[in-house]
Amino acid sequence: MFLTFALITLVGALSMARQSNLVVAGLSLVLCFLGMAGLFLLLGNPVAAALQVIVYAGAIVVLLLFVIMLLSAHEEEQAERNSPIQRWLGAAVVAILGAGAVKLVASSKLLASFKALPGSVDPGPVTLDAVATSLFQQHLLAFEAAGLLLLASMVAAILLVKKEL
Amino acid sequence: MPEILTGNLAGYILVALLLFVIGLGTVLTRRSLIIQFMGVELMLNAANVALLAFGRFRQQAAEATTFYLFILAVAACEAAVGLALVVALFRLRGTTDSDRADSMRQ
Repeated sequence: MFLTFALITLVGALSMARQSNLVVAGLSLVLCFLGMAGLFLLLGNPVAAALQVIVYAGAIVVLLLFVIMLLSAHEEEQAERNSPIQRWLGAAVVAILGAGAVKLVASSKLLASFKALPGSVDPGPVTLDAVATSLFQQHLLAFEAAGLLLLASMVAAILLVKKEL
Repeated sequence: MPEILTGNLAGYILVALLLFVIGLGTVLTRRSLIIQFMGVELMLNAANVALLAFGRFRQQAAEATTFYLFILAVAACEAAVGLALVVALFRLRGTTDSDRADSMRQ
C-alpha cells in the first residue's frame, strides 16, 4: 500500500514537472495531492488526509486552474533568449542535491531505528477531538494569528488585482 | 522486501525528499510563473509529509496535525497572494514568463 501511494505521488509530481500544458500539469498536481492524502491515511491520520483533499486538491488547485484559464496561459511562452546553461546548471544542482539526500536517508541508522510502534501501544488513528484539544488549548493564540493572516492575505489579494482603488 | 519499501520512517522521509527535489527542479528549470508556483506548493507539501511522518513515529501525531493545519493556512494565504501577483504582472506586462519580468521599470 505504501509503495502504491508513494508511486502515485511521485508520478504525479514528475508529470507535473515535465508537462508542457499547464492545465494538465495542474491535474497532475491533483493526482500528486491525492496520493499524498493516501500516505497520510497510511500514517493513521484521516484528519490530515481529508484536509489535504479539501484544501489542496480542492481549493488551491481550483484557484490555480482558474488563473491559468483567466490569463489563457495554457502553454509556456517562447523563451526570450536561449539560456541552456542556466537550465542545465539548475537541473545538475537539483540532481546532485537529490542524489546526496537519498543516499543520506537510505544509509541513516537513526531513521531506521524508529520502528512503527516501539512497545506494544498502538496510538490509533488521530481523532478530530485530539487535534481540536491541542489546537484550542495549547495553540489558541497561533490559531487567532492564522485567522488574522488569512484576512490580511485576502485584503492583499484584492488590493493587488484591483485596477484602481 | 526491504523495509524502506513497506513504509517505515525512512521510506516516508525519502518520498518527502524526492517531492522536495522535484519541486525545486520545477522552480529552477521552468519559466512560467504559474508552474513555478506549483513547484513551490510541492515543496511545501514535501515538508508536510515529513512533519506528519515524524509526528506518527514519535507518538506526537495530534500535535503534528495541529502544525499541519497552520502550514495549510499559510499555504492558502501564499496561494491567494502569489496568484494575485501573477495576475497583476500579467496586467502590467502581458506575460507570465519569469524571464521577461526582469526590470523594475514599468
